[in-house]
Parts: sequence; C-alpha cells; structure tokens
Amino acid sequence: MKQGNSPLVEVVERRTFLKVLGSAGPAAAITACSPIPPEKIIPFVTPPEDVIPGVATWYASVCGECPAGCGTLVRTREGRAVKVEGNPEHPVNRGGLCVRGQSTLQGHYNPDRFAGPRRRRVTDATAGRSVLEAIPWEEAQQDLVDRLQSLRAAGRGDRVAVVTPLLTGTLAKLVSAWVEALGGARWVQYEPFGYEPIREAHDRIFGRPELPHFDFSAADLLVSFGADFLETFGSPVGYARDHAVQRQVRNGDKARFIQLEPRLSMTGASADVWHSITPNTEGLVAAAMVQIIVSEERAQGVTNEVLSQVADLVSTVSVESAADIAGLPVDTLRQLARDFSDPTLGPGRTLAVGGGVGVCGTSATAAQSAIALLNYVAGNIGTTVDFTTASTFAAATYADMQELTQAMRSGEVELAIIYNVNPVFNMPGPVNFAEALAQVPFVTSLSSLPDETTAQADLLLPSHTALESWGDSNPRRGVYGLMQPTMQPIFDTRHVGDLMIEVGRALGGDTAANFPTRGGFYRFLRDEWEQMLTEAGPPAESDEQDAQTRDFEDDWADVLRRGGTSFPVEPVTIAVSSAFFETDLVSELTPVDQGHSYTLITYPSLHFFDGRGANRPWLQEIPEPMLKTTWGSGLEMTEDTAAAIGAVEGQVVTVTSDHGQVDASVIITPYLANDVVAIAIGQGHTNFGRYADNRGVNPMVLLAAEPEIGGGVRWSGTGIDLTPRALSRPIPRLQRTFDQEDRGMAQSVSLAALVAGDVHTEEHSFSLHAEHDHPVHRWGMAIDLDACNGCNACVAACYAENNVPVMGADRMRRGRTMSWLRIERFDTPAANGDKPDNRFLPMLCQQCDHAPCETVCPVFATYHTEEGLNAQVYNRCVGTRYCSNNCPYKVRRFNWFMPEFETPLNLQLNPDVTSRSSGVMEKCTFCVQRIQDGKETARDENRPVQDGDVSPACAQSCPAQAIVFGDMNDPDSRVSKLSDDARAYHALGAFNTRPAVTYLKKVTRDG
Amino acid sequence: MSFAKINDDILRTLHAPGPLWYAGILLALSAFAVGAFAFLHQAQTGLGVAGYEHPILWSIYITNFVFWVGIAHSGTLISAVLFLFRARWRTAVSRSAEAMTVFAVATAGLFPILHLGRPWFFYWLIPYPNERQLWVNFRSPLVWDLFAITTYLTVSALFLYLGLMPDIAAARDKVKDWRRRIYRLLALGWLGTSRQWRHYTALYGFFAALATPLVISVHSIVSWDFAMAILPGWHSTIFAPYFVAGAIFSGTAMVITLLIPMRRIFRLETYITVHHFENLSKLMLTTSLIVGYAYLVEFFVAWYSGSPFEQGTFYDRMFGQYWVYSWVMVTCNTVLPLLLFVKAVRTSLTALFILSIFVNIGMWLERYVIIVTSLSHDFDPANWSGIYQPTWVEAAITVGSFGMFFTLFLLFIKNFPSVSITEMKETMGQAAEVGPGGASQEPV
Repeated sequence: MKQGNSPLVEVVERRTFLKVLGSAGPAAAITACSPIPPEKIIPFVTPPEDVIPGVATWYASVCGECPAGCGTLVRTREGRAVKVEGNPEHPVNRGGLCVRGQSTLQGHYNPDRFAGPRRRRVTDATAGRSVLEAIPWEEAQQDLVDRLQSLRAAGRGDRVAVVTPLLTGTLAKLVSAWVEALGGARWVQYEPFGYEPIREAHDRIFGRPELPHFDFSAADLLVSFGADFLETFGSPVGYARDHAVQRQVRNGDKARFIQLEPRLSMTGASADVWHSITPNTEGLVAAAMVQIIVSEERAQGVTNEVLSQVADLVSTVSVESAADIAGLPVDTLRQLARDFSDPTLGPGRTLAVGGGVGVCGTSATAAQSAIALLNYVAGNIGTTVDFTTASTFAAATYADMQELTQAMRSGEVELAIIYNVNPVFNMPGPVNFAEALAQVPFVTSLSSLPDETTAQADLLLPSHTALESWGDSNPRRGVYGLMQPTMQPIFDTRHVGDLMIEVGRALGGDTAANFPTRGGFYRFLRDEWEQMLTEAGPPAESDEQDAQTRDFEDDWADVLRRGGTSFPVEPVTIAVSSAFFETDLVSELTPVDQGHSYTLITYPSLHFFDGRGANRPWLQEIPEPMLKTTWGSGLEMTEDTAAAIGAVEGQVVTVTSDHGQVDASVIITPYLANDVVAIAIGQGHTNFGRYADNRGVNPMVLLAAEPEIGGGVRWSGTGIDLTPRALSRPIPRLQRTFDQEDRGMAQSVSLAALVAGDVHTEEHSFSLHAEHDHPVHRWGMAIDLDACNGCNACVAACYAENNVPVMGADRMRRGRTMSWLRIERFDTPAANGDKPDNRFLPMLCQQCDHAPCETVCPVFATYHTEEGLNAQVYNRCVGTRYCSNNCPYKVRRFNWFMPEFETPLNLQLNPDVTSRSSGVMEKCTFCVQRIQDGKETARDENRPVQDGDVSPACAQSCPAQAIVFGDMNDPDSRVSKLSDDARAYHALGAFNTRPAVTYLKKVTRDG
Repeated sequence: MSFAKINDDILRTLHAPGPLWYAGILLALSAFAVGAFAFLHQAQTGLGVAGYEHPILWSIYITNFVFWVGIAHSGTLISAVLFLFRARWRTAVSRSAEAMTVFAVATAGLFPILHLGRPWFFYWLIPYPNERQLWVNFRSPLVWDLFAITTYLTVSALFLYLGLMPDIAAARDKVKDWRRRIYRLLALGWLGTSRQWRHYTALYGFFAALATPLVISVHSIVSWDFAMAILPGWHSTIFAPYFVAGAIFSGTAMVITLLIPMRRIFRLETYITVHHFENLSKLMLTTSLIVGYAYLVEFFVAWYSGSPFEQGTFYDRMFGQYWVYSWVMVTCNTVLPLLLFVKAVRTSLTALFILSIFVNIGMWLERYVIIVTSLSHDFDPANWSGIYQPTWVEAAITVGSFGMFFTLFLLFIKNFPSVSITEMKETMGQAAEVGPGGASQEPV
C-alpha cells in the first residue's frame, strides 16, 4: 500500500486521477474508480492539460450531511478537496450551504477515520477483550461473502439485516437489488429524525405519507409550531433562502412570522412574535385555530361538505381551555386564527409548519394532523404546502427500528450490516440497541468513521466518504443531484456500492446477473442516469441548438458539470380521506400529566444534527447560536428553575426520567417555561473519536422506548426530576451577556417607522486626517441583520477558507477562539417573555478607513491597502497585541500557541492562505485571496472586475444571502446601493472608525 | 566624626559579605531563575501559557512594566530632583536611589519584550536601516515608549556612574583584592584634583537637570501607551500627570520599603535619620493626595461625559467582577496614606514600613485595574470577558523580576559604596554652617 499520510504522495496520485478523468472514457473512469490504488508513483513528466498547479479545480457534487440533498461545489487544489460551497445552480439550496455542510471536509479528513479493513480478534474471551486487526481487503471481503453465502445456502438469507441511512437514487436501487441477492435480507433505512408524525398525519388525511415541500417564499403569514426550519427541519438551507426572500420589505409591508414553541429556538429567534406554549399543546392550538376559522366561516378553498366534516371533528375543542392549557391568551389565539385565514391575503398565502422533532411528543401525529388541517382550511394545500414536489423522504420509522431491535434480541438476526448509521447512540436508552446488537452473532460495519455502533462490529469494511464517492440523490420529486469523487481516497477504503456489487457477484446464483461485471458502482450509476436521461429527453436547460446532435456523453458531461438535473413533475391532486374524520382527534390532543416535577424537551442540534456532526472540531468549537456554548451541551433551564432546585450555572444536575438517568451541567437561559428544561441532541458520545467523546450529554437515555402512534420517537414532553449534585462542570460560553446596554451594536427599526421614512440615519462625522486614497477598488460589505438568522454557516465557511485553527475546550474557557467571524446575539427580553427582541450580528473585521489598530502597531504589521482593506502582515507581526486592545470590535485574534491540524486535517488547509504561527495576530481580510482570484480572472478575460465577481467565503455560504460584498467605488454595485439604504448604519459609528462594513438594521414589526 | 571614619564606615560594606547577604542573594537568584525558566517555557510554548483571556490581551506583564518604571522614577526623584532643590537629607539615600533607578528601568524594560508574541523579534521596534526597507511606525506609542525607556536607562546609568566615580576612586585606594583593577578602570584616573572636582560638580548638576524632566516625560509616555488608545478607561487626557504623580508616589513608597531594612542591616542610622523618613513620607502623602484627586476626576469625567461606554467601564471597575481589586487599590492608595497627616505615624519606622508595603501593593493594583478592567469591559458587550486568572507563568515571571532587581541591587551594594562618600563629606563640611540635616539654599 502506497496510501499514506504524505501530502506529496497524494498529489501525484491525484494528478493521475485527474488525467484519467479528463479523458472521460468509460474504461478510464473505471480505472479511476478502482478500489485498488496505484502501486507505483509515476513521476509527472507530461502534466495533464486541465490541471495547472496553483489553480483550483471545482467539482459539482451533492452534500451528504443530511437528507436535504443540497448541491455543492467542491474546490480542489493539487488533488485535495479544500472547500465545499453551495452550488448556485442547484434547486434545493441555490448557493448557500449550512454549517454542517461546510464541515463535510472535517468528516472526510477526520483523523479518526478507519485507515482500512479491520477484523476483530478476541484476545481474552472471558474478560471480553479483543483487538481490531488490519487485514487485506480481499480477505475481509471474502469473509463477508463466505458468511453471507452460508446463510443464503441454508435458506436463512432473511436473517441478515442491512441498516443504512436514508438512501435515494441509484444507491437505493443497488441496495434493494443487493438485499435480494443476499436472500431477502431485511433492509432498514434509519434516520433518527424520521418525520414519522408528519408522514403519518398526511397519510391519514390525504393518503400521502410524505413530507411535502413547504414553500416559504409564498407565505405572507408563517405560523411555525416548533419547526426549526432554519436549523435541521426538512431542507433548512433552501427554506432559509425562501424565507429570507419572502421576509424582505416590499411595498411597505413585510411577511409575518409567528413561532409557537416551549423553548426559543434559533429559528424562533428570527420570528416577529414568539409565543411560549406548554410542551405538547401545539396540536391543541392548531385545532383551536381550525375551530375558530371554521366557526367564523373564514375557511378558504374548501368544499362545504368537507367543511362540515371538519367542523364536526373540531367541534369539541374549547378555544378557552385550549388557550389555557397551552398557556396562550385567548385573544391572542383568536387573533392568530383570524390572521391565518385573513381573506385580504387571498387563499393559500399562509403556512403552518409543525416541527419534526419540535412537535414530537405523545400526541405528535394528532398534532401534525391538526396542523395539516389548519393548512387545509386556509387553502394552503397545493400552494404553500406542495405535495407535487414533496420530499422523497421515506426512511424507516423508529417503530421499524424497534422491531428490528426486537428481532436482534430474539436471535432472528444472524448477521447485521451497518452502514453510516449509529443506532446505539441515537435510539432511546430503554431500547438498548447495543445489547440487542450484541446478540447478533456477526456484525459488519461499512461506516467510514468509528462510532458507538461500529465499536461492536466484528468486521470493518470502511467505505469512502461523500467527497471520494460517486453517487446521486433525489431529495425531492423531480430533483436529481449527482455526486462525484473530488479526490483520491485518503485511506484504504472502498465505495460501498463497489463492495456490494462485488459481493453480489461473488455470491453467485441467479442474482449475480443483477450486478454489472465491470465498472463497479460507477457503471451502475451511469447506466441508471443513461436510462433516466434517455427517458426524460434532453435536459431542459440544454442548448436548443445541439439538442439534435447531442448524445448521452454530452448529457452526462453536462449533468456532471452542473451537479445534477431536474425534471418537471406531474402535479398531484390532493383529496381529504373521509376515514380521517372518523378519528377522535381532539381527545388525542389533550396532553397527559406525566407525574414529574419538570418536563424535558429535546431538540436537534444545529451543529450536530442527530449527533453525526459531533466529531467535527469546527462544529464543536463554533458557539451554539442561542447559548453561545462550545464543546459541550447541558441542561438548559431558566434562572427561576435553577433557583428552585438550588443549582447554578455549570453545576451538575442528575436528570431522572422513568426511563433513565443522566448527569448534565446547568445552562441558564431565559427562553423556557419555568417547569420546562431542554437538552440538545447530538452530544454525549462515548466512542465517536477524539473530538466527540465524553462531551456534553446525550438526552436519548431519558426518553421512552414506546413509539408515538405515528411510529416516531417521543422526543418531547418526557417527565423528569432534577437533583443537583455538589459538582461543577461549566460549559464554556463565548458570550457572557446578551444585553447590549443601549450601545447600538445591533440596531433595529420598526416597519412602521421605515415605511414612514422616520429613520434615524448616521451623522457623517468630521475628521482632521486626510482621507485614504482608493484609486481602483474600495471593497465593502453590507450585512442585512433582518436576513441574518444566526445559523453560523458563514463562520464555518470562514474556518474552512482561512485555515482558522481550532483551539479546544480548555482554551475556550479563556475565550481564546480564533474565529475571524462571530455571530453576536443580543436580545431584550420582554416582560411577558413572548417577544424576545432578538438580533444576530455577524461581527468581523470592519476594515475601518480610520482603523484604530493601524496607528498603534509599532512595526506596520497592519496597514491600510489602497483597496480599502485593513491588511495584516503575519511575517512582520511581533505580537504586541496593541492592535487588538485598540480595536473597538475586538475582531483580531492572537495565536496563543502554534496552531495544530491533526493529520490528515492538515490536507484541508487552503494553500492560498498562510497558516499563521504562534505569537502573531490574525484577522479577517475580506478573503483577500478570493479578491485576488477575482481580479486575476477578470484580467485573464480582459475585462474589469464586475459586481459579483468576488465573494468572500462568508457571503458565498450565507443561506439567507444576508451578506453582500463588492466594490464601494462602483456606484452601481449592490454594496454601494445598500450602503445608502435607509436602514444602513455602522457599528460603533460614533467613534468615527469609518468601517467598510455597513449593517442594515433589523426590521421589527408588532404582530 | 571624621572624613576617614566616613570612608571606613561606608567602604566597610565592600568587605567580605556576611551570611545575611548570601542568604539574600541566594533568594534573589532563585527567584530570578524561576522567572527565567517561566519565560523560556512561555517563549517556547506560546504566550498562551499565560492567563490572558480574550479580550484582555495585556495584563500582568504590562502592569509590572508600569510598576517598575514607577519605581525607577522615585530613584531619579531622590537623586536628581532633590539634588536640584538642595535637599541635603537626600545624601544618605541618593546612591541607593540612583542604583534603584537603573535596575528598575532595566527590569521594567524586559517586560515589554517578554510579553511579545515573538520576543525574539523585539529589535524590529528599533528603526535601523535594513535591506528590506522596513521602518517603524512613529505614530505608535510603543515606539515612543522604546525611545523613552532607552533614553531613561542611558541617562540614569550615566548619572549613577558619574556620582560613583569619586567613590570608586576611594574604593580603589582602599580595596586590596581583585576588584581593585576594575575600580581602577572605572575610576577613569580620578585623583580628586580641584579641576576634576569642578568638572564633576558641573556635570553632576547637568545630569541632574537632564534626568529631572525625564521623570515627567518617561512616565507621561508610558501613560500614553494607554491614553492614546481609544479604549474607555484608558483614553483620558489626565493620564500623563496622573501617572507621573503615581510613579513618584509608588517610588517613594518603594524607597521607604528598601531603606528601612537597609539602614538596619548596614547600620547607617547615623546617616539616614528618622527626619529623612519623615520628609519622604510627606512627599508620599502629597502624591497620594494627587493620585486620589486623579481618581475622583476620572470618575467625574466618566459621569459628566454622558457616554455609556465611559460610564459602563468605570461602573464595572468599581462594582463589576473586579470590585475587590479596585477597592483595595483605593484603600491602599488614598485612604491609608491619610494616616501620614499624623506626625507619630510619619516618625514611626514600623508604621512607615507597613504603610509603604500597602502603597506598593495599591500602586501595583492600580496599574492592574486600569489595564485589566478596561480591557475586560470594552465597547461591545458580546466581548466582555470573565475574570482574568493569571497562571503560574505570570506569577513566576513577576517573582523573577523582583529576583532580578534584588540580585542586581545586592551585587551593587557589595561592590560599590552604597552611600555617597563624596556627598557625606560635603554635607559634613557644610553642617557646621547650617546645622545638622537642614536643607540649605546656598550653592555648593
């Protein structure tokens, strides 16, 4: 094996790969995808034409971090993937990419990845000790084939279980053919966040067990019942984009957004109005709204027949008691219902969304049914709730997983094959998947990274990561993304599809013919696409001119280049199933008292999703958006709750439910009801690599095993008791106060004042000093605080682009983050707690024209460039740190230590950016390397730099397009126009620092 | 008392040291070694081994720097300023004060270097011609600082040396061991002729006149390290006089702290009298009142400014998480020195010694409070930090700086006359005319 950690070896192999790929012939592609790496390093005598050292090569691909299926563009340099960005042409995300998507690279380059196949050898059977031994691929694969063959021969092929994440597209087809070849193996696609209640509710009402496409861009009034649609729910990047566009001020008005949830989520923080409601009363509120709408005859687009059925169904709802149980004023509830069915908006202009995990308590299916009904009576089905382009999300339910667990425990599973899922961590504690898995005689894992489930595997056949793989995705009807390898595998891994094809062929028999003889998964994928593209005709976007002459090779090259394609979809007609009206919705909706002092809410973590992101150092280090915690999770409670149980911030509290017990550190937050506590999902790993282990708390152990009626986990509403311990383990928080004390850091303006033109604008201040000369460009940035939702995507993008080092938990306690860009959060809690005036403020170097840092540096390590940048010369810096002391924004970061990038994380480093050494100051320079690249591209094309040519990593990544970058010398540039906007202001503008960053005030509206 | 007895008494300190001296220098050298080790560890590992908490990017090292510069000023004050004012009582302590100045400046000067992220590049702050055509930024107060400190070190070293010259000659004639060669070299052929004395007196007066404005300028420039920044709590026009007064205040306290034990150890009771200490304590009281006034003015201006930034910083200073430091500072610097209005306190060496220790602590805390609290609570509330906790490295380097100072001082008093023989004799000669210990307005 020549695979190694040396970047030099990488380069040569990568070039070989590119050379082969460049020829684009099928045979060549087979070689490229061959799992066997080249044995010899061939000196590069003749360079391939399409690779210029120092120039990035981009590959369109698909993000594999969550089921949303966003399109990506992967930048590679000298054979290494160095940056993942959103694909502007992809219909799902249209250019943005979330914080998890940005962290793909750290999964790919994770130092804990399996370097090759391993087999467990028991060293001491009595003590249960064993070691993992490296074995050759042939042997490892043969081992699996032998076992599968003997099971199949004995007619026990159905006693094999294959557990994968949700797979769409070609790999799903391959796996279904493969499980058939194994002799009817049981295949479960496990997604911890399975949207079971939504799918079940839509099945009950409309006969469609689907997650529809929510069109946030068409909703004039959005009522979200705990849906964290800007974080993890459904397709957050796409939703964030739609939502931001819809929320812009247009014609003197702005779309409204109301969030109802027991715990203020990051999504809720952007709402105009936030109502704290009792956990598990979302459905009751929705049903009451339906009742009001129906009884006040405000329903739209519903036949009278159905309407009377709806009226009967909700007739038993008492608006007063619903409001009382939910903890909502009756008038507010009535007004909400009336607004939701406002006839002046026209039919189908509102949207109610019920969260995936947010609405997932004991009555989640009934609650989602009520929410669906609410959309129905407001005429939203078919407009803002679109089943035509519904998500293809069809993972197994949690109940299916539980069934599998039972089967394992009762010995019905003789061989388990686990691929990139972690049920040991993700399933509720009482299910005890670990114990069930231990009953399975032989466990094979195809996962790339070690986790709690893989720790129990007997045979490891590690697969490629998404950045090394061919693949495709079909996230929603009509949208197909194509994933292509961006670099040679780092480790001795194989593509899971290649493995399945080879195993399928090696098993022999009739089914062997279902697998291609040569070309592996690449051939399988290409054949699928050939069939699909041939059936669909040429892609809609293709050039009319060559439509006649083009063949599949052209189409293939085209879809590869664009990262996929989309097809028009047959519209779906929606009818209400009459059987639904026979259910007793209302009695299902009433929450049951749990008989405990406190109620626990669990919620998906923005950074870690279901826990899969916890081994990414960026995601650990970037502070959580609401609490600003890093490297950990804890038990969130209000100050009153903490006082009631006698605990303080950081104190360890034992949390006990009927199902389990766990210790967690207290985190004080104002945005919870007093008898409600919350824990984020995703931390508390025990075997997920060096960055994830023994951090935070895993709330899954506290949850009930019994699924909700729709088959999902009962995430919310678990009754718990709290016992403080005499132990303190505070979680580092990077922001200590959220009150801006009238310092005007993050400013806002009311919609009424904005429309009336009554906006206080900044006075232009006078200066004794000569102005800087900016002869060609003056780079500037505008950040719209009204669009920013605090999602941290820009922060992660900055880490990736600028080689920002990760410092670790201990250094966070001293605030020593190296992040060049941070999201500050400010709020002013209102007396009733219902309307937090929350503002997110992305804070980065303001590139001041009168920079306080520049004058105090004794050695000119920081100076003003003639393009208006506040440059930092790392080599010249001696580290007096005076610049940081004098920076009012404190956006400069000092290298306290020599930064460490554990191999192979170092392969991710952007070669265009210096990696700074110990003792020097560093800072944002508006991605000066990207500015340079933009200028060079323009020069090569013999044209001036145009607006939009240059986009720093943060602006590029922003799902909500809140950051606009450009040349302030160009009066027509977007940034110049935004700088003159009525909402424009400068942070700490009164100090006359004259920043190049203009903020646009958040627009608030009352109700 | 004869001139010969003065020679014998004072030069006696040059004889083989006793066990107390050895104990002292061992302690001082150990402290210095601990500090040196800590610094090497810090330079090798990174500045992160110190307790800096973002955004508190300056802390104990700069506190120590200002503290030591302040100590240095007291030396100059006693040796040069009082010389110019013909305060004769200074004679007994002027040599120690001059030496203290030089060693304190040398110690102070190390701190800006060892607090650098890359201390090995400290010379980049010096404007020297180089092939890369790099220059320094003369707008930066740190460059002014470099010039101020190096100037001060040069002048005070020359001043000390000049005053020593006739005494070295005396030692040269007295000492018989290997040091004689060195004294001979250092005495620059001093014979004590009238011509030499005339030149000597003129030059000494000239240096005293040169050193006096340096007390003002150096500490003003040091204060501008803060005042020139825009940080609330630093950015204030009062800083220069406030820091100068503070430097004299802390310096006087340090002189008292040093002299009282020295007087006993070397049995100099005849030369350094309680009257001298009373005079010193009057100076201390005066400067304490100036410092207290400066505190009041700072708070008044913050309130009067109407700026939430200024007000926030000063409110946080007194009632925020650093309130203990601030109140201890106020007590030590402005409340306790009021006891000096009582003559019994001024003339009790025990009381003065204890009080001077409190003032030393209070003035060290003053710099700490100014630096740390202002940085911890600046413009943007999102940056406000938790309480800064120094590590063992900072403690070791601080202890090491005292180790370095006392090592140098102990070596000095064992090798050079620690009381000016020349001036002693001069004072004796005039004593007959104006009475013992009295200050004379007559020219020498």
